[in-house]
Amino acid sequence: MKKLLATLSIAALALLPQVAGAQTYPERTITMVVPFSAGGPTDTVARLVAEAMSRELGQQIIVENVGGAGGTVGAARVAQAAPDGYTLLLHHIGMATSATLYRKLPYNPLESFEYAGLVTEVPMTIIARPDFPADDLQGLIAYLKEHKDDVTYANAGIGAASHLCGMLFMSEIETQLTTVPYQGTGPAMTDLLGGQVDVMCDQTTNTTSQIQAGAVKAYAVTSPERLEQLPDLPTAAEGGLASMQFGIWHGLYAPKGTDPAIMERLSQALKVALKDKNVVERFAALATKPEPEENATPQALKAKLESEIARWKPLIEAAGVYAD
Amino acid sequence: MTFNRSDVGAGAIFVGIGLFFGLMTLYGLDIGTARRMGPGYFPIVLSGLLVVFGITTILKGIGHEDVERGPLPWRGIAILLGVPVIFGLLIRPLGIAPVLLVTTFITSFASRRMSLIVALLLSLGLTVFCILVFVMGLGLPLRIFGPLVEPWTRPIFGVR
Amino acid sequence: MDLISNLSLGLSIALQPHNLAFCFVGCLLGTLVGVLPGIGPTATIAMLLPITLGLDPSTSLIMLAGIYYGAQYGGSTTAILINLPGESSSAVTAIDGYQMAKRGRAGIALAAAALGSFFAGTVATVVLALFAPPLAKAALKFGSPEYFSLMVLGLVCAIALAHGSILKATAMIIVGLLFGLVGADLYSGAQRFTFGIPELSDELNFVSVAVGVFGIAEILRNLQNETDRDVMVKKVTGLWPTREDFRRMAGPVVRGTALGSILGVLPGGGAILAAFASYTVEKRISRRPQEFGKGAIEGVAGPESANNAGAQTSFIPMLTLGIPANPVMALMIGAMIIQGIVPGPNVVNQNPELFWGIIASMWAGNLMLVLLNLPLIGLWVRLLTIPYYLLFPAIMAFAAIGIYSINSNPYDLYTLTLFGALGYALVRFGCEPAPLLLGFVLGPMLEEHLRRAMIISRGDPTVFLTRPISAVLLVIAAIVLAVVLMPSVRRKREEVFVEED
Repeated sequence: MKKLLATLSIAALALLPQVAGAQTYPERTITMVVPFSAGGPTDTVARLVAEAMSRELGQQIIVENVGGAGGTVGAARVAQAAPDGYTLLLHHIGMATSATLYRKLPYNPLESFEYAGLVTEVPMTIIARPDFPADDLQGLIAYLKEHKDDVTYANAGIGAASHLCGMLFMSEIETQLTTVPYQGTGPAMTDLLGGQVDVMCDQTTNTTSQIQAGAVKAYAVTSPERLEQLPDLPTAAEGGLASMQFGIWHGLYAPKGTDPAIMERLSQALKVALKDKNVVERFAALATKPEPEENATPQALKAKLESEIARWKPLIEAAGVYAD
Repeated sequence: MTFNRSDVGAGAIFVGIGLFFGLMTLYGLDIGTARRMGPGYFPIVLSGLLVVFGITTILKGIGHEDVERGPLPWRGIAILLGVPVIFGLLIRPLGIAPVLLVTTFITSFASRRMSLIVALLLSLGLTVFCILVFVMGLGLPLRIFGPLVEPWTRPIFGVR
Repeated sequence: MDLISNLSLGLSIALQPHNLAFCFVGCLLGTLVGVLPGIGPTATIAMLLPITLGLDPSTSLIMLAGIYYGAQYGGSTTAILINLPGESSSAVTAIDGYQMAKRGRAGIALAAAALGSFFAGTVATVVLALFAPPLAKAALKFGSPEYFSLMVLGLVCAIALAHGSILKATAMIIVGLLFGLVGADLYSGAQRFTFGIPELSDELNFVSVAVGVFGIAEILRNLQNETDRDVMVKKVTGLWPTREDFRRMAGPVVRGTALGSILGVLPGGGAILAAFASYTVEKRISRRPQEFGKGAIEGVAGPESANNAGAQTSFIPMLTLGIPANPVMALMIGAMIIQGIVPGPNVVNQNPELFWGIIASMWAGNLMLVLLNLPLIGLWVRLLTIPYYLLFPAIMAFAAIGIYSINSNPYDLYTLTLFGALGYALVRFGCEPAPLLLGFVLGPMLEEHLRRAMIISRGDPTVFLTRPISAVLLVIAAIVLAVVLMPSVRRKREEVFVEED
């Protein structure tokens, strides 16, 4: 009986329709894994892009939220998935920082994936509670240096955009502030609005509406140029912090071994999606822009990932903060 | 010696949980001080309290009469506690349809009133219902047939 | 006055036929999915979110809000009928609601929940319309010291929740607090009690814990009794509350609404406490405290009203400040962003039709919910006549899907098994599951706020007493504790406990 079963399963495996291949891809629903919970900024980016890509590919792309451990659970899930082009990963800068933040990762960001392309790079803004004394970036830096023992810096947890930005900012101004972690951006923003903490640096996704409403004080944006949505907000470079250029970049990945033709098809669909009117409009509402066409390519994403891993490794090691 | 098994049993569980968390904290987490609390501060205080409460509960039970409780439904316990594990282990490789079919079939036999026919009908019906509602209706990201069974189901059900 | 014109703007949006229709569809879908065991409001909304994305912004949010109330009401229905709470607040409803169902009063419990919720929803809508901006500003005065003191008060209330031994109830709270700590430590990143498994590094899933300690333990208890007597009470004595029932409901509903409206505004988890606080208050002031835990209608009407009022006013920080008060509100914010509306302080000025439309639709949604659910009560109650051996495999199947669908995490199912075992053992040894659940929910917040308060105050513990709101909350907690522990009260409890065995 056992032998029969074994023979049967071998026969069945042999009959297994060989990967129908890149010509007919995609022929069923594609799952896009977002390694964070539903409703967050990365989830929003993923849902917008997935919807536009679905139309281009002619197959539905559904978003699956696989949260946990700073995005590493979802990334590991995709790294181990079948490389058939039906499981994708939309991840942000955490792909690069987790390589240092987590000392035991079940995957290697540079070896376990194929790359489709960059999606968007969300700028960061340096903000403070509404009644904070300083009025511009220079004033802020001077104040922080003078009162470093009294000022608190809020972040949304280890590995979060606000944590990374804080690390970079404190290293740039060579001043250590007291860091107050929160469970996500929502509660951190609440305490900033209420004046319970002093300073924060977070994605425009979370801060633009607050800045526009004057509910917080804003000092600088970390993008190379000023933002259309916040024309009065100087860039960090204008304020004298030239190296404080940084954004939360998002990339689209597939498991290692996915057919290059499929990756090409995905990159193609991504390029179309990034020009989609709805995507451009919605991104603009979040004060970000889709990546230009030349960046929605495997090469651009891989290069970005490599340079970002190299950039964050010394910063994280110097801070001595690890997530495991 | 007479003792109330409810109190002694509950107390023992409390002590056990307290010791478990307490020892894991002592051997792995930085406790810190009340002014600068480490990750182990809260757990060590709580597990200490729990051990004390557990011992008190045990002491309270000693010398009291026991109360009658029914026999343990061993079969139900084994099945109901095993089924979620089976579901968790098989959901990714097999997909939702085979897993529901199997787990519901097994679950049915936690009851002594279940017959084979009813169990079969019930698991089939529930599986179809769940697929219609959750996968087709609500579009949950669940594979109906996972990678392990897909080669066999593809000719019958097509690509899902 | 602006209010009238604002409300009429809102009503003109909410009463458009297609908005009414989607509001109704939302309520209906929310109820139907939410009533499935093991699928609470958060999971329901996450599941139904994608179908709202194709609509225009106001309609989509009106429908989502409808789904939210529907899911909440559906969750309470499951708590009452089969003792399976889908979220922390309906854990309170389960205590007396399920006892009422066992005594053949399921219909009355459901009606009490529906009517209480409707009243609470109506009042909370008015509160929202009148005071949203000032309330949101006031809520910002709550920093970590205040939240810590509020959580302490909540824990003291949890002790009062128990109808058996205080000793065991307190120990159960601590068990819950400890399990609430499993996962990565927010402040140091250290992994606590995760055995190096990354899937466990976020908190344990609430639904797994709740279904484990309530649901599996209950199924096992029913299977144990299967041989000697019928599991469910078949004889249903009336579906509609009597005059006496209405008289007993009125006070709890009003007090619950007040409590819920206030606590719901606090973005740091105040709404979670609303149902618990209401139960404690009702039990304390009732002339028949011994009936609580055995099917007191006050124990259903009060917490359900508080719960619904809190659900409604938790929209205040979201709509006026763009801050999510709970996971459901975080999903709402995600939905708004996908619709191209960035939630924040400007929504009320830039999109008044959206802001007032949602508020007006809340009232419409509550009305629909009550109209929808009162006739459905008969149907729900009839569900109880399904033989139990057909019902529990369905419960297990829905629970497994509901739990897995939240994060696609198989460990959430293993957690279910762990808590099923623990819950059954503890319940068999005379412990009650509700305090464990409250401890589990409050544990992480208690620690988070305590440690944050200490960091911000630079290690000065007197902040809890020097900040006035915090000090007042601690004093109230001390008073409640004193009352709970007063020897006379305690003796009465012990008598009750002995009687029950």
